[in-house]
Amino acid sequence: MGTARPQTLQRLAVESFALSADTTQPQVEVPFHVIVTLHVRENVSEINNLQLPMLAQLELLGDERKTASGPNGTQYQELVTVVAHTDGRIVIAPATLQAIDARDGKPKQWFTNDLPLSVHSSAARIANGVAVGLFAHVVRILAALLWLALLVGAAVLTIFLLRRRAPVASPPGVPVSYQQAPLVSEAERRRHQIEDALLVLRAERTRSAAVRVRAAIWRVIGAPEGETLADVLRRPGCAEGDLHDLLVALERSAFTYDEDLPSSINDACAALERYAGSLT
Amino acid sequence: MTVERQPGDLHDALAKTIVGQENVLEALLLALLCNGHVLLEGPPGLAKTLACRSLAAALEGEFKRIQFTPDLLPSDIVGTRIFDQRESSFATVLGPIFANVVLADEINRAPAKVQSALLEAMQERQVTIGPESHALPDPFVVMATMNPLDSEGTYALPIAQMDRFLMKINVGYPTREEELQILDRFAMADTQPVRCVATLDDVRSWRAAAHAVHVDEKLKRYIVDLVAITRAADRVSVKSVGGATLKAAELIDYGASPRATLALAFLARGRALLVGRDFALPDDVRAVAASALRHRIGFNYRLATENVSADAVIDAMIAAIPAP
Repeated sequence: MGTARPQTLQRLAVESFALSADTTQPQVEVPFHVIVTLHVRENVSEINNLQLPMLAQLELLGDERKTASGPNGTQYQELVTVVAHTDGRIVIAPATLQAIDARDGKPKQWFTNDLPLSVHSSAARIANGVAVGLFAHVVRILAALLWLALLVGAAVLTIFLLRRRAPVASPPGVPVSYQQAPLVSEAERRRHQIEDALLVLRAERTRSAAVRVRAAIWRVIGAPEGETLADVLRRPGCAEGDLHDLLVALERSAFTYDEDLPSSINDACAALERYAGSLT
Repeated sequence: MTVERQPGDLHDALAKTIVGQENVLEALLLALLCNGHVLLEGPPGLAKTLACRSLAAALEGEFKRIQFTPDLLPSDIVGTRIFDQRESSFATVLGPIFANVVLADEINRAPAKVQSALLEAMQERQVTIGPESHALPDPFVVMATMNPLDSEGTYALPIAQMDRFLMKINVGYPTREEELQILDRFAMADTQPVRCVATLDDVRSWRAAAHAVHVDEKLKRYIVDLVAITRAADRVSVKSVGGATLKAAELIDYGASPRATLALAFLARGRALLVGRDFALPDDVRAVAASALRHRIGFNYRLATENVSADAVIDAMIAAIPAP
C-alpha cells in the first residue's frame, strides 16, 4: 500500500479539532459519549479523511455525525456512543485529520488531544457515594451559618449549569496541533490501529475483548455493523491474504465455544501480527 | 488408517449427478443432519425425484415415492391390515412411508386426512396400524413437493401442518449454462449411478455432531430477534411492484412460531457442520433464515392485491435485524 496522495485531500483551514467525552469518569456498563468536534473556515458538506481513534477497550454502540455550515465556516461533530466493560484507566488516542492546509497549501495531519478516562465499577461508585454522603453530613454539622450554605449552593448550581453547556472534558479553545511532513500513509495509520488491537487482545484474552477487537477491525476496513462475515469478505481486498485470515480468525474467537477460545485468541493474535507486518 | 467420512462427501457425490440446484442439495443434507423434513415448491421436471433417489443411493438407504392424488387413502401411505384366509388371521402390510428417503410428490393433491396422516408420521416417527405401533426407519427424511402453477383441484396445506417441515425451498429453473450441462450429462442412455459414499450409521453420527455444534449467546439472541420481527414488523418497509411503500406488518396476519426459532438454531448448526465448523456463525443463521421462516408466516390477502412477493417481505425482515 502506498502513501496517502495529497491531491485527494480536502483543502481546509482548521480552526479547532478536539476530542472530549460527556464524562471523564464513566461507569462500567453505563453508556457514555466520546465526541470529536472540528471547526473549519470553509463551507463543506462533509469531512473526509477524519480517523477516529481505535476505541478497542470500549464497546461501540453507535455513531452519529452532524455537519453544520454557516457564515463562520463548518462545524462538524461526531458523537460516538460507547460502553466500558471493565474498570480502570483508559487513554483514548487522538483522532486524526488529513487535509491540505488552506493557509499554506501543504498537506498536513492534524491531531486532537488524547482523552484520559477513569472507568469506575458500580461497587466503587456506591462506596464513593457513601463516603461523599458522610462527608456532606460532617460539612452540614460544621456549617455555622445558613446564608453561607445558600451562597455555596448558588455557586455550585452556577458551576453545574456552566458545565452542562459544554461537555465536561472538552478543553476550551483546544490548540490545533498538526504534523507537517511526512504525511502518515493510510497503511501506516492502519498498522498502528492493528497494533493497538493486538495489544488489547494480548492483554485481555476474553470473549468480550475478542468481540470488541472484531468490531474495531471491521470499523478500520469501513464495514458497517450488522453485516455478516460473508458480506465483509466481499469487500475489495478482504477476500484473500492476511486480511481475510484475520477476519476469519476474529470471527472464530467471537463465536467459538469456550474451550476453543484460548486457541482461537492465539490464532487471532497471530493473524493480527501477520496483517500488521504486511502493512509495513 | 481409516478416513472419516464427512457430510461434504455426500454433497460431492450428489453434485456429480444433479446439475445446479445447490439449494435443494443443501436442504436435503440439512434435513438429514437436523432430523427434519423439506417442502419443495417448484414446477415439475427439476430433478426433485432424482435428487431424492440419489440421496438414498448414496447412503445405501431405501427410497420410496408416493404420488399424492385426490383418491389416496391414509392406508395407502402408512399401511394396512389384511385378512390371511389360510392362517385365519390379520397380517400387517407396511406402507411406502417405511423408507429412509420418501418423496411425497404433489402433497397438496390429496385431501386433508391423507396429508395429516403423513404429517403425523413425520412428527411422531412412528405409525399405528390396528393395535400395533411401528417405528419408522432411522434416518427418515420426507421431501414433499408442491406445484405452484397448477392449483386447480388442490388442497392447500394449513400453516399448522406446514410448520412441521424444517424448511421450505423454492426451486427455480436452472441457468442456461446448467441446462447445457444437463444436456451433456444426460445425453447417454445409461447415466452413471450414484456411488455409495456413506452409511446410515455415518448419518446418525453426523447428526450427533451437528447437535453438539456450539451456538453462541449472541447468535441465540439474533435468532430470537429474527423470529420476533415476523410477529411485529411495523418498522419494516417493503416496496410493491407498483412502487408503493408498505409496512410489512400490514401484509402479515401472524408471525412464525417458536418452532421456527428451534428450526433456525438446528439449521445453523447443520450448516456449520456441512462446512466443517464446530461453531455456528451469523452467516449460517442468515443463510437458512428465509427457508426456515418462509412457510411459517401467515400472509394476508394484501400480499396479492398489493403485488408484493412473500420472499421480498421476508428478505426485508431479515435485513432489518443487524447481525451480531
